Amino acid sequence: MISHYLKLVSGVLRSQLAYRTAFIVDVITVGMSNALEFVAFALAFAGFGHIGGWSLWQVAFSWGLSEAAFGTMDMIFSGFDPARFAQHIKRGTFDQFLLRPVGLVTQIFASDFALRRLGRVAQGLAIFALANAGAGVIWTPAKLAYLPLVFVGAVAFYGALFVFGATLCFWSTEGLEIVNLFTYGGTTMASYPMHIYTDVVRRLFTFVVPTALMIYYPALFFFDLPDPTGLPKIAQYLAPLVGFGVLTLALVSWRVGVYKYQGTGS
Amino acid sequence: MITVEHLVKEFHVFERRGWLRRRTRLVRAVDGISFTITPGELVGYLGPNGAGKSTTIKMLTGILVPSAGVVQVNGRVPWRERVAHVGRIGAVFGQRNTLWPDLPVADSFDLLRHIYHIPPDRYRANLQEFRDLLGLDDFMGFPVRTLSLGQRMRANLAAAWLHDPDIVFLDEPTIGLDVVAKEHIRAFLQRVKLERGTTVILTTHDLADVERLCERVMMIDHGQLLFDGKLAELVERFGGERELVVDFAESYADVAVDGATVTQREGLRATYRFARAKITASELISRVSARYRLRDLSVREPEIEATIRRIYEQKLL
Repeated sequence: MISHYLKLVSGVLRSQLAYRTAFIVDVITVGMSNALEFVAFALAFAGFGHIGGWSLWQVAFSWGLSEAAFGTMDMIFSGFDPARFAQHIKRGTFDQFLLRPVGLVTQIFASDFALRRLGRVAQGLAIFALANAGAGVIWTPAKLAYLPLVFVGAVAFYGALFVFGATLCFWSTEGLEIVNLFTYGGTTMASYPMHIYTDVVRRLFTFVVPTALMIYYPALFFFDLPDPTGLPKIAQYLAPLVGFGVLTLALVSWRVGVYKYQGTGS
Repeated sequence: MITVEHLVKEFHVFERRGWLRRRTRLVRAVDGISFTITPGELVGYLGPNGAGKSTTIKMLTGILVPSAGVVQVNGRVPWRERVAHVGRIGAVFGQRNTLWPDLPVADSFDLLRHIYHIPPDRYRANLQEFRDLLGLDDFMGFPVRTLSLGQRMRANLAAAWLHDPDIVFLDEPTIGLDVVAKEHIRAFLQRVKLERGTTVILTTHDLADVERLCERVMMIDHGQLLFDGKLAELVERFGGERELVVDFAESYADVAVDGATVTQREGLRATYRFARAKITASELISRVSARYRLRDLSVREPEIEATIRRIYEQKLL
């Protein structure tokens, strides 16, 4: 399975890198445009100084972490990107995947690897590194061990949103803007301290689409801050579990979508 | 070995009534088809558009799951053991590409070698043979996306046989190709059939494809199997009639001729229908030109689609 994935992906990558100049320009552009987004936010933020008690450094910390995770996800899961996946269903090219002796999920993963998203990852990591300096996080071995788990959990979680979006394509290839609401909207939202939102919004993004559990609550742990929302301490340690849990759910739902596709055709 | 018993496929089709209302209609794309195909056969699967051909093929390849009925291919149920089943078959769809569009043909083949686990010596031997037979050397290094339709079809055909499949499904492989390209592909299929004994199911609208390649044909329309037998028999019974269209030099009241029926008359033009078995085209032309003065003529072969429509509409089967 892994070897098939690697072989197929290498083909995809080779064709992307074939146009080298365009690729490099792409990476830089993506990185810059995302970074500018943060700069715009920072400028607006300068007027307030603090948001929900968090300093700019602390928000940047969350932002950088979320962006780096989302960019990484965007690279790896780009085959499941609903915008791309919908094309396969619309054009009937999904059938070709069914005709190859390789697992479907492996093939979809391998159908694209958007290397140009590295720009977003790089920009996220850069902001995270800067923020780390200013946020004054006291790094303990426990926190250092937990950080990569939070990162990976976030990648899995954002990936799950893509996979859910791709699953919807089996039922309708139109009206997928609602998915964008959660993927692109969700990552922006994840960067801000959750306690600035109203109860309803917060509960929605904690218990229904648990974006808050992926970045915000772990951030409380990293910053050694008390939880203003009153959840048990364990909420801060659930990120990787929730991330992979939601991803598993998403992949199961995707299989249901495939089953539906094979029953009703395109 | 392919076994199909009482195969049924129903679809819910949405109909729009007015602005907001929608209604579902149940359509039987495949309506109780049964047949058996033994190893090594090259079977033509014929029928007009919308007859249910593609739906049948999709169920045989495992893309679709039937609504009812049994499908067994080499002892497997296609959609239940997808990976194992698909590893032993090949498929080429006319107008659709099976290879990776941005990769050079050679790279696509290499990918296939990997995912189908083709032993290196078989891969080399097959590649060499197909390069010769299909003239692939001209474009092996180019991305599939940049190839002409004929080149893409040749590449897809080679790709379908690369892993020595037991069965190959060909869905309109010659559609849109010029006459020379079609000939090359037919030559390839004949050669491959002779040398490898691959079971082939060929869907086509082109009667020439069928005449050249298939001994056995199955005809389907409205989801039902109308005919399953030797091509010669089908042509004899229904395709045996051809048309001679004649433009007369002058106006005649009666243009009757022995051995043919006048089916149409319009001004100076008349259409004769005649049976292949009863009279040859040249003989009919002689008879007509002996009695009447002609300015121009042409012989029309029966289109398979028209033949089938006639068969179905007139309930000839």
